[in-house]
Amino acid sequence: MSRIGYRRLVAVALVAGIGLTGAACSDNKKDDTGNKAATSAGSDAGTPLDPKTKVTISVDCEPPTTKAAERKQWLDDVAEFNKQYPNVTVKSKDAFPCEDPAKFTAMLQAGSETDSFYTYMTDLQQVLDAGQAADISAYVNDKTVPNLNDIDPGVLNVLKDGGKLYGLPTSNYQMGLIYNRKIFQEAGLDPNTPPTTWDQVRQDAKTIQDKLGSKGINGYMDNSAGNQGGWHLVSEMYGVGSKAVDDSGQKAAFNNDQTKGVLQTLHDMRWTDKSMPATPGLQWGDVQKAMGTGKIGMYVGAPDDVPLVVQQYKAKFEDIGMAPIPGGKTALFGGADYMFKKSATPDQIKAGIAWINFKFLTLEKGQFNYPRNKADGLPVGLPQPFFFTGASKAKDTETKTASATVPVDNFKTYVDAQVPVLPEPPNAQKIYTVLDTVMSGVLTNQNADVSKLLSTAETQVNSLLAASQ
Amino acid sequence: MAATTVPENTTSHAGRPPRAAGGAVRTGRGRKVRHNLQAHGFLIGAVLCFLTFSWYPMVREFIMSFQEKRRGVTSWVGFRNIDRVYHDPYFWTAWKNTAEFTLYALVIGFVVPFAVAIILNELRHAQAYLRILVYLPVMLPPVAGVLLFKYFYNPDYGLFNHVLKTLHLPTSQWLDSSHTAMISVVVAATWMSMGSATLIYLAALQNIPGELYEAADLDGAGLWSKIWHVTIPQTRLVLSMMLLLQIVATMQEFTNVYLLTGGNGPENSTMTVVYMVYQYAFSYNNFGSAAALGLFLLLVLGAFSGVYARLSRNAD
Amino acid sequence: MAASFTPQNRTLISPASLNRPKGRLIYRIVLTAVIVVFTVVFLGPLYWMVTGGFKSASEVVANPPTYFPHHPKPGNYHTAWSELKIARLLFNTLYYAFGALAFQLVFDVAAAYAISKLRPVLGKLILGAMLATLMIPATVLIVPQYMTVLDLPVLHVNLIGTPWAIWLPTVANGFNIFLLKRFFDSIPEDLMHAAAIDGASPLRTLWSIVLPMSRPILGVVSIFAVVNVWKDFLWPMLVEPDPQKQPINIGIRSLSQGVPENVLIAALAISAVPTLLIFLLFQRNIMSGLTAGSLKG
Repeated sequence: MSRIGYRRLVAVALVAGIGLTGAACSDNKKDDTGNKAATSAGSDAGTPLDPKTKVTISVDCEPPTTKAAERKQWLDDVAEFNKQYPNVTVKSKDAFPCEDPAKFTAMLQAGSETDSFYTYMTDLQQVLDAGQAADISAYVNDKTVPNLNDIDPGVLNVLKDGGKLYGLPTSNYQMGLIYNRKIFQEAGLDPNTPPTTWDQVRQDAKTIQDKLGSKGINGYMDNSAGNQGGWHLVSEMYGVGSKAVDDSGQKAAFNNDQTKGVLQTLHDMRWTDKSMPATPGLQWGDVQKAMGTGKIGMYVGAPDDVPLVVQQYKAKFEDIGMAPIPGGKTALFGGADYMFKKSATPDQIKAGIAWINFKFLTLEKGQFNYPRNKADGLPVGLPQPFFFTGASKAKDTETKTASATVPVDNFKTYVDAQVPVLPEPPNAQKIYTVLDTVMSGVLTNQNADVSKLLSTAETQVNSLLAASQ
Repeated sequence: MAATTVPENTTSHAGRPPRAAGGAVRTGRGRKVRHNLQAHGFLIGAVLCFLTFSWYPMVREFIMSFQEKRRGVTSWVGFRNIDRVYHDPYFWTAWKNTAEFTLYALVIGFVVPFAVAIILNELRHAQAYLRILVYLPVMLPPVAGVLLFKYFYNPDYGLFNHVLKTLHLPTSQWLDSSHTAMISVVVAATWMSMGSATLIYLAALQNIPGELYEAADLDGAGLWSKIWHVTIPQTRLVLSMMLLLQIVATMQEFTNVYLLTGGNGPENSTMTVVYMVYQYAFSYNNFGSAAALGLFLLLVLGAFSGVYARLSRNAD
Repeated sequence: MAASFTPQNRTLISPASLNRPKGRLIYRIVLTAVIVVFTVVFLGPLYWMVTGGFKSASEVVANPPTYFPHHPKPGNYHTAWSELKIARLLFNTLYYAFGALAFQLVFDVAAAYAISKLRPVLGKLILGAMLATLMIPATVLIVPQYMTVLDLPVLHVNLIGTPWAIWLPTVANGFNIFLLKRFFDSIPEDLMHAAAIDGASPLRTLWSIVLPMSRPILGVVSIFAVVNVWKDFLWPMLVEPDPQKQPINIGIRSLSQGVPENVLIAALAISAVPTLLIFLLFQRNIMSGLTAGSLKG
């Protein structure tokens, strides 16, 4: 991403925060370029797919069989979509998790992604570097995506480069602290006042450990590998007001007292209080598994973990609560989207957009079909996705509330805190890989030298960023 | 297994027999050309595969080390990739780990199967049963073996610490401490793969002429002396072949560390050079630097192989 | 050739010392110890795996661990089988393994035969270049190899996601060439000459004279071929990104991220069954093949 683009993105995202509209950037000059692309890309690019068109598209990130309810919904949705577009064949590919950074790189190099493919919002630069993303500016308008104007421009901007749009958002989140209310209760803590600073996290984790450690329950858990450690560390440093990189996007900015403070607390929790398990999470799913099976009291995560924890690990959603990120200064904001393969035909792109629009961007359909979610036992009432604004947001809140199954109290502190959001750093996955080592050092070595770990990581990140400019 | 029947089935449709050599008189030269063409016809399949998947990638490895690809455009960058990986803060860590891994793998992975083979060879009972046992783990899918060990190694609820506790021995952090992670990986790897080596040694041991031991007995040699002066020299060929294979295999270590410790391991203590290559390519999306690092490994192994070849020639 | 494991062979310890009462006692103790230790070390983990698959989600991570499942849950196995599609993964693995085997047998046998018996011009050089690849671990070349498979030179075909990406690179195996060539070298030239005088073509000679004599080495190459594909991890992970087409190693590792521990262990146990069965049924052939062939090489 260009430097200017990134800085603007940060600014936009800061303004956009939860519940704010972010209207400030709707008069973005870049829109002009987008329109030019629209006219040059063919006269009919902007019209919705003709239902008579016979076309086959492949789509990834179909929920795996282990997520039974969501998979059934996916298949039902494809069937319903086919009533409107009987000539579109949707070939779904399941994967779990939907994206693994290393495999994603391999896939882009190979050009073996599906016609519509799932990416993290941090991936745009990598996809563009690999030359795999189609410019969809000409295809996306309020006819093809009726709710377009109600999508937070701050979110759409993350998917733009040089004014051109490359993806459609399907979810977004802001990081917080997920905790097990039942364990809090059993440990004599008040589940309605979760910790909001690292000192409180440490204290509560110790209480849980002291009371329930004999049952094999740990107070807190964190990650140390598979980019998950780095992702968590960045979320945690954001919480205490540190950034990962400076405004130029070229220099590491995490070697400071705030980050050291977080790491020291984690170290003390692991080694002094022993309120963390001896094995940190090594891959995506490890902490979620521990939470779902009731082995830990707290971890840093996003609200979309809740359906997973409930569905796959059989936790009760009444037991899962969420608090703002400890420190509460800024919260890491991220999300997922679908992009469209560059080599796909215009019809395939249109069909892909039609499907994504139906499944992820239409109120009361697909992921927003709350009565169905309720009937299928999925938690309803989670504070995400939150990319809608205006009328769509109001309608969404209304229908969500009507079917809510999650007690409002469980997420009250998280929603009320209104922590300003900050997007992930540029080249996020590379930085995460480097920071894995820092987390690993703190969580596996009692004598870890926090300063040295951070300064080594700083050197390495600077070198990698220099190589990516 | 179908080991003995498959070859016939698969080769039977490899091609029908070519027409028998024509009866007409041919010049010697013509016959020679024809013979050579025929022979190269036999070679062509393998040669093409070697060319595409082995020789060409070697050349390409070299070229890529000096290139960089950005936004689909490849450009020459001189020694920048090499410089970058050389100055990676963990460059030397990765080499140290690879050396350490190789050392452990030799001490444990090389000695243990040989010792087991010697013991098995002395037993007059239950040998078939024991051989099956040793080979059993080889037949597990490696991922099953590795994940099983990961479960055993868990410091909180794993079997190993439980056994140690029961025996009143100090427990360990196993994979979760930079001190023990590497050796834990080697132990798991040895458990999974020692079966093949053991069987090969066993066969070599059975081929040692009994008279040699009888002669040693007459000289009044003790057990260790017999192992040193008869067993090892007599199995030298197999031992040295296995040594080379073991080292080459060890240098390739990826699967076990990737699955057991997430690759880097506690404080990068299990990060091998190959894992670093993987990381540069697929985590940092920097194929040029990955190739440059591979080049270092290539040079080191090339030097190593050269020395080995020279030594074994001298020994012959 | 086929090494006999007859215990009568004279070994390290003389029969005389074994026949003394003290020797007999020590032998008994050692034998018992070895049997017990080996059973625990090699069967123990498998027992733990099978029983772990029957435990409940909390029992499987209980501290201290339980030695047998208190409330056996066979449902775990059912879940693992149906939800994780293990049958599909196993089938993929076999498909890749036996395909690779077929290509290696055809191409490598033909090449080794040509180098050993037909001795064409440049044969020595080609052999040298093939053996040189032995010195370079495959993983070092993983990056350029991957780039090559993405876009095959000359043909410009992308092999990713096709079985060819696994099958063809296995043919470039210097060790196979080495083993086969050494073995073919030991086949007497007289036989070849006799065949040539009878007017047999090289293919005919290979088919009716060389191959029948080479069963042991073909057995070894076959076992190595299958086991190599069976064990490989990094390469299939890169070249088979589609979960539908992945071999068991990759499939199980992806699954390990999404299922509870007890179901995962049940899945591991299931994945181990087919090869263990094959091994136990054919263990005599496999073991004698392995040992005999590798000695010869």
